[in-house]
Amino acid sequence: MLFNTPQFFLFLLVTIGLFYVSPKGLRKWILLIASYFFYMSWNWRFAPLLLSLTVIDYVAAIWMERVESPSRRKLFLVASLAANLGFLGFFKYYNFLAGMLAEALRKDPHAFALSIVLPLGISFHTFQSISYVVDVYRGEQKAIRNPIDYALFIAFFPQLVAGPIVRAREFFADYYQWAPPISEEKLRGVLWILLGLVKKMALADQFAQIADSYFQNLAAHPGAPAAWSGVVAFAMQIFFDFSGYTDMAIGMALLLGFHFPTNFRRPYLAFSITDFWHRWHISLSRWLRDYLYIPLGGNRHGSLMTYRNLMLTMLLGGLWHGASWNFVIWGGYHGALLGLERVLGRKHFQEPPNWLVYPFRAVITFLLVCIGWVFFRAATLHDSVYVIQQMFTWHGKAGLIPVWLTCMLAASLAIALLEEKTEWIERLAHGPAWAYVAAVVTLLFTVELIGVTEKAVPFVYFQF
Amino acid sequence: MLMRAAPVLLVSVIAFAAIEGAVFHTEVYPWILNPDASTGYVETILRMEHERPKAGPQVLGIGDSRMLLLPRLSNEHTAETRYTFGTIATAGASPRSWYYLLRDADPTARLYRAIVIAVESYDDAERWNDENDNNEDLSYLIDRLRLSDWWEFSRSYHDPDRQWKAARGILLKGLVYKRDFQDLLLHPVSRARYAKLNRRDAFSWNYGYNGPPDTLTDFHVDWQARTLTAPPNADPGLVHNLKFRLLDALPTETGNESRYLKYWLGKIYEHYRGSPTRLIFLRLPRGGFVRPDQPRYNPHSSVRDLAMEPNVTLIDEHFFDSLEKPEFFRDEMHLNGPGMVPFSLMITQEVSRILGPPR
Repeated sequence: MLFNTPQFFLFLLVTIGLFYVSPKGLRKWILLIASYFFYMSWNWRFAPLLLSLTVIDYVAAIWMERVESPSRRKLFLVASLAANLGFLGFFKYYNFLAGMLAEALRKDPHAFALSIVLPLGISFHTFQSISYVVDVYRGEQKAIRNPIDYALFIAFFPQLVAGPIVRAREFFADYYQWAPPISEEKLRGVLWILLGLVKKMALADQFAQIADSYFQNLAAHPGAPAAWSGVVAFAMQIFFDFSGYTDMAIGMALLLGFHFPTNFRRPYLAFSITDFWHRWHISLSRWLRDYLYIPLGGNRHGSLMTYRNLMLTMLLGGLWHGASWNFVIWGGYHGALLGLERVLGRKHFQEPPNWLVYPFRAVITFLLVCIGWVFFRAATLHDSVYVIQQMFTWHGKAGLIPVWLTCMLAASLAIALLEEKTEWIERLAHGPAWAYVAAVVTLLFTVELIGVTEKAVPFVYFQF
Repeated sequence: MLMRAAPVLLVSVIAFAAIEGAVFHTEVYPWILNPDASTGYVETILRMEHERPKAGPQVLGIGDSRMLLLPRLSNEHTAETRYTFGTIATAGASPRSWYYLLRDADPTARLYRAIVIAVESYDDAERWNDENDNNEDLSYLIDRLRLSDWWEFSRSYHDPDRQWKAARGILLKGLVYKRDFQDLLLHPVSRARYAKLNRRDAFSWNYGYNGPPDTLTDFHVDWQARTLTAPPNADPGLVHNLKFRLLDALPTETGNESRYLKYWLGKIYEHYRGSPTRLIFLRLPRGGFVRPDQPRYNPHSSVRDLAMEPNVTLIDEHFFDSLEKPEFFRDEMHLNGPGMVPFSLMITQEVSRILGPPR
């Protein structure tokens, strides 16, 4: 059940309807049943896995809080982490490691391979679970006593399959002091859902057609114009796809009285790679910082260790996206760029330059990010190298992005720049009613007339 | 001051529906349609028929691209026959489309003395494709479909995806006009110019059409050996289509096509039931080469059953057999220019004979 299908909207309407007409005590049950129904609509066989991890982490957290001995507390933490990472490792990385082993033993690459289907959203709910047990271990979060409450935190359908990765303290702050959303929040919720739909259907899915046609047949599109347009198309696809999903998740949560953290803050307006990671998939960056980079030592043990930690964090962040060397290289590429920016002067890349320099810095950052996307999108390392060669081979004919889509892109850029300065989309729900109505009507027409509606295209991040 | 969510959202939805309705459910958007795209093409044909002067008794032809009646030729004989001919035959139009086209062209069912309906077979011969799921129908008819057609039209598809596509398309017509709209965004000025030109000249383009001179005289079919011999410079697409139509096995009879035709031709009959309009069916000439294994005779086919009803006539099934020669066909199914002339004249004479002199 994809977010961009009528079935999902029917499900959402029924869930919201049942949620608000039910007595307070039943509401968590409504959300939990709806969330498991949503998850099982993809593949019911993975529901026991989700349930098992939920039970393990729920019990581990309570025991961790109960025992006095630090070593026993650590034991429960390790057991919980082993379960989470064990499942994640098996489903996501087994075939990758088996392939490497086969290669090392000079056997058929599929000699040890298993036919494994990746459970939907496993990367996201695993990270959410880990953050919870680690927070309980650190004493930053009280263990949740009610199993239904905890199960809902893990399975809450708006963010179950692709985030944002919500912290327990954020979720339960809303949950335990739940209040019905005020009118302004309801209006914002609807606006975010529509904005997400437009991003997904009218922009991401349109750019996906160009990116797919390029990356699926590289030989047919030689030269720099085709390569850059194919890569830029993918950059737009992945941004609009993922941020569209997040906007919808945030909007749905708002309608149910929950406040999710911001996950994207106009990342292609970033003036440095450091700034980019403060704007792109913010909930993952935050997770990597708090549960990987800082525990590794962060910047507390000298420059060399800082660079090592930075690189390790980004390599693992890359690997989190998928079991392939391409993702590792993508992570390493960003780690190297972040390291380089530190070498060149951290302050220089953290504070925005003046308005004259900003556009140049933003363009350079965007081009560097695009080069990274090649590794993310290309099927193999060989293809990635080929595309990058083509990007700097100065021949070839016209690009692949049609004029009307370029115009759409220009309009999106103008909206993003305006939003960066004024946050006018956020303010629409406070403004005059006619402005809100005009925005909703415009968004609906954009989905109707520009959106890809012939078929529901899956979200890119669902595969992670 | 805080806005109330429910009224604002309700107003938003009403505003969207009102604008959608005003633009796409009226003649506003169809005015600028691309005349070469599916909907624009059908709209041009219907507009021509609406605007065509209709002095004296009228006869209207309908069918698909094989209904190559040249009204210009028929009307050269109006002084003698006293009937004026027109056509809304549309390339790719199916019997389902014919019903909606006729409903639009003749809403009172009293405008014409006869409707001449060209069918492929009097036996409801099975087709390779399921006509119920003809994707083009929605694009062809979208401007003519009403909200009251929502259930019947969308349910008439067999494939659930297409049922859904039709159902949402009738409600939100912009979804069907999407491709045309995107093309308009790209070339607004040239589109406006072309649409204007089409409104001015489409009648002369269509009614002045003579058909191409190409023939199949250099092709030979050996039915025993099941081979087709084509000239060396023959278009490979044409050769492929001829082989497919003449040498491939006929589709298995399932009765699906018969049920489809009975429904939609029945709807046309119901539209004209009790009206003075006669429905005249003709079987199209089958091609420059006629395969020996013709579909089984079906005594209860859609048209034969309809022929039992008052005011329905079938032109003799073999009336156009004399045209089934390679020199009269340009491809596997379409008459060429020289073939269209006798075809049109034969229709004119036979329909005039069936109707008799107008009262």
